[in-house]
Amino acid sequence: MSGTTPEAEPRKLAEDARDRVRFEEEALELADQVYRVARRLVSTREEAEDLMQETYARAFRAWRSFQPGTNLRAWLLRILTNLNIDRGRRQQRSPDLQPLEEGDYFLYNKLEEGREPNADEERVVERLSQDDVVSALSAVPHDFRDVIVLVDIGDFSYADAAQILEVPIGTVMSRLHRGRRILKRELAEQTVGSV
Amino acid sequence: MSPGFDADPCDQCEEMLQPYLDRELNEAERAEAQEHLDSCSYCRKRYKFEEELRVFVRQSAVEEMSPDLKQKLAELRTPLF
Repeated sequence: MSGTTPEAEPRKLAEDARDRVRFEEEALELADQVYRVARRLVSTREEAEDLMQETYARAFRAWRSFQPGTNLRAWLLRILTNLNIDRGRRQQRSPDLQPLEEGDYFLYNKLEEGREPNADEERVVERLSQDDVVSALSAVPHDFRDVIVLVDIGDFSYADAAQILEVPIGTVMSRLHRGRRILKRELAEQTVGSV
Repeated sequence: MSPGFDADPCDQCEEMLQPYLDRELNEAERAEAQEHLDSCSYCRKRYKFEEELRVFVRQSAVEEMSPDLKQKLAELRTPLF
């Protein structure tokens, strides 16, 4: 015989409702941060908005599978990246289309080569525009861009990024390293022209 | 293992740029990179640029969510009754 009292069931329901409300509130508080990452994982604002709605709908349905005390932002981003892959928004790169990359000094050297005689040598970064950055980032292949977006823009740790993307930490680190070089090459192309 | 600075020191310093800024180098590697940076303005300028670039990329990539989307997400919440 169970020890359940007649009052236990309503109490359980009330606790459940309270936990769910708290979960939903916490998830919504993180929406701005999740959106900033989502926006750069896909090409357009519309895609990012669709993805956010699908992500939150799924998260609210699956709230019980979230383990309290763990990283809710990473949990939401994991749903979001999985949905992004499931919906075929990502085109997988074929192995023979590995992007070209240059060394880490490449962008600076290119900017210096094209420097006007009177340009301030100390403010090289100001020769870049925000539009150039957005455009260069979107030209970085997905595998590399995802890691840059999560770590350098979303401020996730390597471990969180590895969990979100379901790849080993070593893969996160190597993609980040190569991805940043690819981004700089793309930036050089956007800013200085054909490289 | 540390790449060392036996070959072209600036090439080696370029290879250490990302792990240096990410604080991924061990003490000996970091000291080695630092020693080179202290005496090489060529590399120092490029390291400074990389630091500023990372901040600039982060700032440039930010696009805020529309109030309309915020509202739509809130409407996805489970009704209480």
